[in-house]
Amino acid sequence: MPHVTLQISPFGPIVDVLLGVSGARAAALQAAAQPIPPAVQIRGLIDTGASGTCIDPASLKSLGLSPTGVVPILTPSTGNLPHFCNQFDVSLTLLHADHRLHFDTVAVMESNLAAQGIHALIGRDILGKCLFVYDGQAGTFTLAF
Amino acid sequence: MVLEHELKTYEQKLPELLADEGKFVLIHESEVAGCFGTYEDAIRAGYTRYGLKTFLVKQIHAVEQVQYFMRPISPCPT
Repeated sequence: MPHVTLQISPFGPIVDVLLGVSGARAAALQAAAQPIPPAVQIRGLIDTGASGTCIDPASLKSLGLSPTGVVPILTPSTGNLPHFCNQFDVSLTLLHADHRLHFDTVAVMESNLAAQGIHALIGRDILGKCLFVYDGQAGTFTLAF
Repeated sequence: MVLEHELKTYEQKLPELLADEGKFVLIHESEVAGCFGTYEDAIRAGYTRYGLKTFLVKQIHAVEQVQYFMRPISPCPT
C-alpha cells in the first residue's frame, strides 16, 4: 500500500493539496469553450473531528465555481442550530514527492479558515479512503492509500 | 441563495424521493432529473445535462444529515 510519512507541524498534521475543478466540470468548461482554471496549491489540516472536507472561500473563488449543494453544519461556533453552508464539487490531490492521491470529484464545504493558517480541513470523507496513523511520540503522521 | 429554487423543489418532492433514500438526486429549477447511486455519477450527469447552468445534487434523507466540526470554523453564508 503506498504511503507517505510527514512531520507533524505546529499546526498539526498538515498536507499540501492541489485543489482544482472536478473532472466533470472541466469537461463542461471545455464543451463550452471556456478556459479551465488552473489548480491551486493549498495547505490542508487533517482533522478527524471534521465529518467532511472544508475549503477557504478565497481558494474556491480562484476556481470560479458555483455551488452544487447546500448542507447543514454544526460547529462549536454555531451553537445548537445548524448553519447552512454551500457545497462545491472539486478535485483534490494530496501532494508528495513520491506519491499522489487524487480524487476526481469530492464534495467540499465553504468555510473561513485562512485566519487559522490553513486553507482546508481534510475531513473523514477523505480519511475514509485512507489509513491514517498519528505518531505523536515520533512527531510524524502517516497516510496510506 | 443560489440554489433556493432547487432546494424548494427538493422539499416539495421529498415524500416521493424517499423511495430512493440514500441515493443522490439531481435537480435543476423545478425539474428532478434523476437519482444516482453515487455523488460522482450525479455530478457527472448534472454537467452533462445542464452544462454550466445551476443544478443541485443532494443525498436523499428523511431527516437532514448534519455535518459536524469540532473545530470552531465560521461557515460562509449561502
